[in-house]
Amino acid sequence: MKKLGLLTGVFLLCCLSSCVEQQNFEQYDEVAVTPLLEAALLYLETPESEINRQTSPSFVSTTFDFEAFSEQFVAEGILEGSLIYQLENTTSKPLQITLEFLDASGQVLDTETFLMDPAPTAILNREVVYGPAGKPLEILTNTTALRVSGTNLGDQTSVSGEPEPRFVLRSTAKFRISLT
Amino acid sequence: MKLWLRCFLAFFAGLTPLMGQHRPLLYDFTEIPQSLLLNPGAAHESQWYAGVPLLSGVSLRAGSSGITVQDLFADDGLDINDKIRERAINGLQPGDEVSATLQMELLSGGFRGKRRPDDFYSFGVYTEVDAINYWPRDLAILAWEGNADQLGRRFNLGHLKTRGEMLNVFHFGINRKVSERLILGVRAKIFSGIFQFQSTRNRGYFVTTQGENNLLANTLSSQMGLQSSGLEGLRRELSADGADQGAVLQDFLVRRGFFGGDLGFGADLGFTYTLKPRLVLTGSLLDLGFMVHASDVRNFTLEGTATSEGVEIILPDSLADPDADFWQDLVDEIEALVPFEEDAKTYVALRPTKLYASLRYNLGGTPPPKGPCDCDYRTSRPLKEQPYSSAFGAQLFMVNRPRGPQAALTAFYQKRFGNALAIKASYTADKFSLTNIGLGFNLQAGPLELYVLADNLLAYRNLANAHTASLQFGLNILSWGRN
Repeated sequence: MKKLGLLTGVFLLCCLSSCVEQQNFEQYDEVAVTPLLEAALLYLETPESEINRQTSPSFVSTTFDFEAFSEQFVAEGILEGSLIYQLENTTSKPLQITLEFLDASGQVLDTETFLMDPAPTAILNREVVYGPAGKPLEILTNTTALRVSGTNLGDQTSVSGEPEPRFVLRSTAKFRISLT
Repeated sequence: MKLWLRCFLAFFAGLTPLMGQHRPLLYDFTEIPQSLLLNPGAAHESQWYAGVPLLSGVSLRAGSSGITVQDLFADDGLDINDKIRERAINGLQPGDEVSATLQMELLSGGFRGKRRPDDFYSFGVYTEVDAINYWPRDLAILAWEGNADQLGRRFNLGHLKTRGEMLNVFHFGINRKVSERLILGVRAKIFSGIFQFQSTRNRGYFVTTQGENNLLANTLSSQMGLQSSGLEGLRRELSADGADQGAVLQDFLVRRGFFGGDLGFGADLGFTYTLKPRLVLTGSLLDLGFMVHASDVRNFTLEGTATSEGVEIILPDSLADPDADFWQDLVDEIEALVPFEEDAKTYVALRPTKLYASLRYNLGGTPPPKGPCDCDYRTSRPLKEQPYSSAFGAQLFMVNRPRGPQAALTAFYQKRFGNALAIKASYTADKFSLTNIGLGFNLQAGPLELYVLADNLLAYRNLANAHTASLQFGLNILSWGRN
């Protein structure tokens, strides 16, 4: 019976002495899930032949819906971000590209202008920051459409000696979103 | 904080009532009639028993293999985001899990046949809640860190594996002493499903690579699905105008738990075989069965492959249509390639089959005769004698889980103190813990029997830091024919 008493004592001791160290569940409210997301944004390509074919200097002017930033989950959670552009001009003429950010009423919220020298030109890289260290985030969150305009600042007859001469705009968006 | 994140963290951190399937202390603890639920061929010898309704068998078990509540919520002054990053996001593996089982007997009883006293019949109804969630590592990394600066990294969508259910089990078992050496048992089960969900056969990936045209390309290749039954009806009823949520929930549990929901069938098999006079081999196979989920079914799938390089305008073709909507076209194209679809098709889910086996060496008492005996259970062993005074041995447990079988090994020691008390101590090694020491008591005072079994006693020093803990208890009225 001594053994029984000992075993019973151990069991009861284990059960009765069970405890939970103090936990701080208030830390829940400090959890910050803020992934940095990256996605392709816009790709524009115009061969030189198309630029030369136009009767006016404007070789492209189009407005289209773009609701990536105004999607609820982005618009409500975006903390900061940047748009990264890469432009390449292998045509024989200088070009001006304008990218306008439009809100739902068609009002221009922001404009990004790029001037490209004729070939041979280096690739132009530009990063535009939005958020506390850059332009207002509202530009992005209120943008529902983009207007892309391209103007030929040179002639309409010359042809570049580069293989497959063309103008290309590449872009990505990188932004931090709060999921909490 | 958003509700979904709270739920996720609560489930992940083990704050919901989390439990598991393994019950090493109860298995082959033959003094307890509920051991017949783990082995219908167990050597149980009472004349009859009746469980106290709702109290005859309650089993709770929590298991978290990779992390504990303490790891995240200790009041240690560290930034919780750093703790989550180091201990969960970078610390957990896809095989780590949080699993849970609750079993509560509503009704339980058993009796020995008058005409066939070698037969023992047992029956009852119990409610079972079972859930398992594997750590979705790559999805967690994607949610926590994002895909930026992770060029070429494939986030594996197959890391999402989860399953859960609640059901009532109506069962009837027969335990037959075939010979002095062999006892066989079988239990038939009818499952009345209350709710169920599963997302266990996911494949695919999300990857960001260098684009062919643009700077980046985002690719989603997905074969994902989620099946559920019962939950949609509950959601609909709870969200109805003026719904009394408590009454709705009660009605839902009662209605669907008593054949108003899904239906399934299953069986348990088991045996006890005396290899040598003191050496006993036992084994059982539980929940060989299935459920047909046909009511309140709501299934979701996301299947297909799509790559996006953003809005593409390639002149002159892109502007040929002046009404072209590049953004909507892009969205439509992706949705067509990877459609998110919903249906209400009936599906069948197999029950998580379990296997137990044990080898036990009995000490003391009177071993069964070596040869065949032509006497029945009442005369084969004098009533005042005990089959053993103590015993030791080993047990094996396996359960079929979404990522394959899980196993646990247990060493145990049992001792009887007359007719009033039996104890069982165990050491179990499994994926949750290598220091799992358990202890169980079965106390009998006249016809009243009380048992309490607890695993992982060392964890009771600080439950918040435990990877697993369990508790089982029950109250029966029974007759051994000698009291």
